[in-house]
Amino acid sequence: MAINKSRPKKPSKLSVYLYIPNIIGYVRVLMNVYAFAICFSNKQLFCILYFISFGNKIGCFYFGFSFVCDGIDGWAARKFNQVSTFGAVLDMITDRISTACLLVILSQVYRPGLTFVSLLALDIGSHWLQMYSTFLLGKASHKDVKDSTSWLFRAYYGNRMFMAYCCVACEVLYISLYLLAEKPTEHLMDVLMSLTKEISPFSILVGLSLFGWAIKQVVNVIQMKTAADICVLHDINKKERP
Amino acid sequence: MAINKSRPKKPSKLSVYLYIPNIIGYVRVLMNVYAFAICFTNKQLFCILYFISFVCDGIDGWAARKFNQVSTFGAVLDMITDRISTACLLVILSQVYRPGLTFVSLVALDIGSHWLQMYSTFLLGKASHKDVKDSTSWLFRAYYGNRMFMAYCCVACEVLYISLYLLAEKPTEHLMDVLLSLTKEISPFSILVGLSLFGWAIKQVVNVIQMKTAADICVLHDINKKESP
Repeated sequence: MAINKSRPKKPSKLSVYLYIPNIIGYVRVLMNVYAFAICFSNKQLFCILYFISFGNKIGCFYFGFSFVCDGIDGWAARKFNQVSTFGAVLDMITDRISTACLLVILSQVYRPGLTFVSLLALDIGSHWLQMYSTFLLGKASHKDVKDSTSWLFRAYYGNRMFMAYCCVACEVLYISLYLLAEKPTEHLMDVLMSLTKEISPFSILVGLSLFGWAIKQVVNVIQMKTAADICVLHDINKKERP
Repeated sequence: MAINKSRPKKPSKLSVYLYIPNIIGYVRVLMNVYAFAICFTNKQLFCILYFISFVCDGIDGWAARKFNQVSTFGAVLDMITDRISTACLLVILSQVYRPGLTFVSLVALDIGSHWLQMYSTFLLGKASHKDVKDSTSWLFRAYYGNRMFMAYCCVACEVLYISLYLLAEKPTEHLMDVLLSLTKEISPFSILVGLSLFGWAIKQVVNVIQMKTAADICVLHDINKKESP
């Protein structure tokens, strides 16, 4: 007969859904939905909402899919001891979808239309592969994936400030292009050229962020290769053990 | 001192990348890239390439089993190609059809539900689904219980999107106008769209239900972790 031990009560599913950081997550989702609903009619409000949602990430120097995010909801998670897998996934999905939707909006406005479609494809593809490979590695070390990748990769991951600059630069670039569009259809090269002819605050913003954006895209491509290697090595190593 | 055992040679990374089903996968990617490059200039060719890619999706799985070349990388490549090609088609539709947010929302739902599903599948690993009670609707059970029905719903989505893509004549079209004109003049498209709308609707509802189920799995994962000290 079991001794009646007093055990800490198991949290119910509903209580996890109602964790404070997860509620912050739901607010972020609603903010994004509303922001995209008004994105054509009220550009300033869209930018404010988008950055509040993104600002949640400041301090979250996001690499891989760590289960502890900084930012407001991460801070709340630690403060109230309410870290949850669901919260981390919600966070990740909200980020991916909000960036994807912004790229879709840009692809509707800017010609050639395939520019932003390609960026969307790269963003989804690289993050998907990364997540998959992170799961395959589990808590194992990365030792099979030799650090053979470029100085760029090492510079990126070795330096949290640089990483943060590249991530923020992407969002700043996309938001700037969104704000710069005045007609329903704009030619991307024309808009970029006009920024160089007339130096304005936007010229500087776009100029500074283009560099970080470019680095981030290159890193995305490298990460796809690294993640693919992890998938392949996973199978190879499985075959070793009979 | 180790006895010299003869061991089967470990496949090299490159050989896995060159598995036949993976090569089929690369061909699918290139076909999709080319298809989207010409999607505004040559609609028929786009449809042909998109359809061939869809068929290859089945072929590479068959090839993997036939040649004993099943690989994780191949499965991931497959999944990503599917997701991105559907997303890109939805983006094209969102460029043409107003209100623009209709198709943007469908992209969001597609990405969100598949991402959550993948995450929860990993969390479950090979463990049983016993904690996720089959409390979801008859719809969910009908969908997963019946492979033909599932296939119909998936194909219906693609057929609907491709039909809308082909139906668009002007650079900007109003979605409701296009749908209404299909009901006024019965054409092959009317029938195609009519038949696929039902399957498409089921699939979207299932996507939403799957998000809830997958979220539950994430939550239960944490709850169960707290139990085992």
